[in-house]
Amino acid sequence: MSEQKSTRSIPSASVYVDTTPFWDAARQGKLVLQFCKDTNQFQHYPRPVSIFTGSRNLEWREVSGRGVVYACTVIRVPGPGLDERLPLSVVTVELDEGVRILGNVVNVEADKVVIGQRVELAWDRLSDDVQYPSFRTV
Amino acid sequence: MSKKRDIVIAGYSETPVVFKSGRSAYDFGGEAFAKLLQSTGVPKSEIDGMAVAAPLSECTNPFFPVYMAEALGLSPKWLNYSGTGGCSATGGVARAASAIRDGQCEVAVVLSADSPSTAWRANYGAYRSEFQDPVGVQGPPATFGLLMSRYHHQYGIKPEALGKIAITQREHTLHNENALAKFKTPLTMDDYMKSRVIADPLRLLDCVMFCDGANAFLVTSEKRSRELGLTKMVHPTAYAEITNLHGDQSCPDITETGFSAVAPLIYKHSGLRAKDIKMFQPYDDFTIAVMMQFEDFGFCERGQGGDFTLGTDLSFKGSLPLNTGGGQISAGQPGLASGGLNLAEAVRQMFGEGGERQVKDASNALVTGIGVIPFARNWGTSAALILEA
Repeated sequence: MSEQKSTRSIPSASVYVDTTPFWDAARQGKLVLQFCKDTNQFQHYPRPVSIFTGSRNLEWREVSGRGVVYACTVIRVPGPGLDERLPLSVVTVELDEGVRILGNVVNVEADKVVIGQRVELAWDRLSDDVQYPSFRTV
Repeated sequence: MSKKRDIVIAGYSETPVVFKSGRSAYDFGGEAFAKLLQSTGVPKSEIDGMAVAAPLSECTNPFFPVYMAEALGLSPKWLNYSGTGGCSATGGVARAASAIRDGQCEVAVVLSADSPSTAWRANYGAYRSEFQDPVGVQGPPATFGLLMSRYHHQYGIKPEALGKIAITQREHTLHNENALAKFKTPLTMDDYMKSRVIADPLRLLDCVMFCDGANAFLVTSEKRSRELGLTKMVHPTAYAEITNLHGDQSCPDITETGFSAVAPLIYKHSGLRAKDIKMFQPYDDFTIAVMMQFEDFGFCERGQGGDFTLGTDLSFKGSLPLNTGGGQISAGQPGLASGGLNLAEAVRQMFGEGGERQVKDASNALVTGIGVIPFARNWGTSAALILEA
């Protein structure tokens, strides 16, 4: 776990659906994502219904945080909250549970990240009690 | 299914594309509207329907189309507001055709106007502040960097092919009086290769630049257009769109675009095939989107877009004229009026008004639209329209 405190802005929870379980779990170093109980599949980002069935029979379940880089880029132009992070590695990670999540790879040079690389969960500490999921190569 | 030829686009207009004009979408919309009335000679009183694109610069007003009708002094019996971005113009034509066939209106204007380089008032909201923006995916370049990386992984990208698209379109811009003045200089492959990488492997010269501008189209039945004394017209013979392809999957192949679902439909409805297409005016927010459309519309096989690009004369004199007005990448992207830019060029060419860049056989055209970048997927909406003489 990264002990370095970030200068990144802190996202507000539950802007469009109730995401407090995600942020509560993140505080404890756990990544939980929405799970459709009818079809036993994960989905991300969080939705108001299951994208598989349209029902609201959803729950939050912990995932391993392990997966593989599905797509990767390096952001080289400024944006809000990015200025001190450039060049920034941005990846789409396909988690072993069969769901994708956008993230940053934090432990290697941004242009060293490649598709197919195995990654695991890391945490970016945004404040004393807010953590944001990131990834590191394994 | 027999081809429908009852509806026509009987007029088009376009404002110059300008950067930071200081003018509003209303003012640009008014300019395009006045030009449309002038070029067609149709009195304002004949217009009883309107389709309007949601603009980045005025989307804080949920009643924008009503305000626009008021600004133009129109009393439409049919009013359509589109939130599919670059698909709004082609989609507006298709929806107007349906409304006319259904008797809701007789003469519709499809109007797209936006000035985001003057006033950007959009906020996409939703999940973005929690799950996308903090990661650094704050605009289309990041998403297209991800998409290109995956395409490269699966099929390989030849940078010189994307460079050729940028160079060819820039060449066309030199003949386009409405194009952004800044882009009226030729590009070389050296310029392209030296262009700054902004979201690997995406270069600056792969991208559009947000500008201000507007365009408008007159849509009516062929019968009504002849009654109005109009002689120039094109027939929209096939239209299809799809939003959120594979929306019920968590891990779709992001190199598969919505056009893979749309292309078979427009070919079926028009009876045409890729080999029959006389000019291609695809939505071009990024060069890779053009290349992927070559594949999805069957001009070549999946993964062969680079070789096809390099092996085909895409100039307005060539075997497949591509974005003959320069497209958005080289004429400038008038915000979400963007989809009308490619459409206006197709209609202009088919009316025989291409001037220095006139395509020799302009008897049909394939025009497309792309709308919005979603979370870790391919683009949101894909729309395609076939126009025939």
